[in-house]
Amino acid sequence: MTGTFELFDHTADMGIRVRAETRAGLIEPAAAGLYAAIGELKADQSQGKSFQFCARGGDDAILLRDFLTELLVLFERDHCILIGTDEVEFGAGQMSIAGKSATVDVEQSIFYREVKAITYHDLELREVDGGFEAKLIVDI
Amino acid sequence: MVDQYTGPLERIDDTRWRIPKSYRPDMRVDGIIYADDALVESIKKDKAPEQVANVACLPGIVRASLAMPDIHWGYGFCIGGVAATDPEQGGVVSPGGVGYDINCGVRLIRTNIALADAKLNMGRLMEELFRTVPLGVGQGGVVKFNKAELCKLMAEGSRYVIKRGFGWESDLEATEAGGLIEDADPSLVSDRALERGSDQCGTLGSGNHFMEVQVVEKIDDAQIANVMGLVQGNLTVMIHSGSRGLGYQVCEDALKELHDTPRKYGIELPDKQLVCAPVHSPEGKKYLGAMRAAANFAWCNRQIMTHLAREAFAKVFEQPAERLGMNLIYDVAHNIAKMEPYEVDGGTTKLCVHRKGATRAFPPNHPELPSRYKAIGQPVLVPGDMGRASYVLVGRPGAMEHTFGSSCHGAGRQMSRGAAIRASKGRNIRKELAERGVIARAKGRTGLEEEQPDAYKDVTHVVDVLHKAGISQKVAKLRPVGVIKG
Repeated sequence: MTGTFELFDHTADMGIRVRAETRAGLIEPAAAGLYAAIGELKADQSQGKSFQFCARGGDDAILLRDFLTELLVLFERDHCILIGTDEVEFGAGQMSIAGKSATVDVEQSIFYREVKAITYHDLELREVDGGFEAKLIVDI
Repeated sequence: MVDQYTGPLERIDDTRWRIPKSYRPDMRVDGIIYADDALVESIKKDKAPEQVANVACLPGIVRASLAMPDIHWGYGFCIGGVAATDPEQGGVVSPGGVGYDINCGVRLIRTNIALADAKLNMGRLMEELFRTVPLGVGQGGVVKFNKAELCKLMAEGSRYVIKRGFGWESDLEATEAGGLIEDADPSLVSDRALERGSDQCGTLGSGNHFMEVQVVEKIDDAQIANVMGLVQGNLTVMIHSGSRGLGYQVCEDALKELHDTPRKYGIELPDKQLVCAPVHSPEGKKYLGAMRAAANFAWCNRQIMTHLAREAFAKVFEQPAERLGMNLIYDVAHNIAKMEPYEVDGGTTKLCVHRKGATRAFPPNHPELPSRYKAIGQPVLVPGDMGRASYVLVGRPGAMEHTFGSSCHGAGRQMSRGAAIRASKGRNIRKELAERGVIARAKGRTGLEEEQPDAYKDVTHVVDVLHKAGISQKVAKLRPVGVIKG
């Protein structure tokens, strides 16, 4: 993962700020940021399953939000997390991700809090010096 | 850092402040915030009053955009926001006026157990509750419902889970709407929402959700307290939770589907998070049908946890819950949109009332009240924080006249989660609570730190404003003695 993320305060909830050199480079740190908001999640890396996500629709920030929402459902419904990406295309109003997910190791993981949703509030993805930055607020 | 509010706030009286509609050309009505002089200073520290002004722009809004004294910033509507729209005048329904956690709400159960008699058992009781009630991240419920069962549950409400053994028939009368909003349409709930909710009915969640054992510390109105079964010195159990992943997904689905709907109906919005549709439109009806289904899920959720609490008490005190007098006092939603009749311009009109972090507060003789509460008014349950107090109030006629039958829902956060964690460094919050007489157990690593008492405003101050304003009347103060959190 070459990009970075940080969590920041936001009233009653939390924000995730992600930076990377490319749009595609935002994907893994954004996922890591979401998981960091939930806790310290561990998965059995040797038990990876195929993960696919595709979406299209003009706004890059919304596509990133939709991707994180998919990860949230994957976590809640299937108790799985994304453990790596093999192919990422992100730009020109579309996103396509192929990667691997794995079941969360409940014994090895530490849980902080539930994330209810990735909101639309202050949702932003913009070009900055050195690459791209995205900002998302999660509802706790 | 969140910006401060710098717009106008005109003092109406000791408990109300007005944002005049002249503040912005797009406002259709005034904004009115319930607060006293002290509270209003903290209210101005975030942009929540601007959100009150934004809601005042919604088509069909009636009388005013309102906020209760526990107001703070939210998504679209502020938390503590109340707004009623008239569907016959193009009034809209907005998912932001309900929230992600559809029918997040509170219920209160009484007991015959005096704290003085229970002290030696409190540790065991809290351990049993912590062990029995599913809570925290990823924790599934004691029963998993398949798709067909979930649809029945959403169509029938609390009665469905009571028939399956999770409660008493008498619980229904003590639940808002009998635990069932009519005209729910489970077929409108997406498969994704059903998947998220299938093993979550009967689970507490985390964040600010809790199950708390309390003692009735002070009674302000003995006659009303007696009707409710509140006895000074006796234990109560309060449950705060909502519609879990199913409800969050219903909101998520609606926000996506309604994204372009305002433009379709020529509605201009000052904030995209006020996305909405006319109540009578296909989009509005779809959201309402799904929202009602999720609301019914939430009542089932709290009903199952009530059963689990009763079982825990019965095990620890070695008597059936019936013998312990564990009757439900009331259950009320604080994130919901409901069609309710109000007097408007000399006639009765059915309005779409949004309560986003606001509790229904019907006065005596309201036709929707159960017979035992007709004379006293509807119980209003207001949780504070896990260190100080929660309150039981009753609705007053002023609520029908001024706030569309609404009161506050809690204390309101005054510290972000990050700030609360930083303020906890070097401290042992669990030990501090124990020193205050509160046995606290939390599953999440940061649960107690994020939800510590200092993170919240003083709820006494909040309820005092509405008591003074004649919206809801104080009945009893409850002090926490044990709390479990996810």
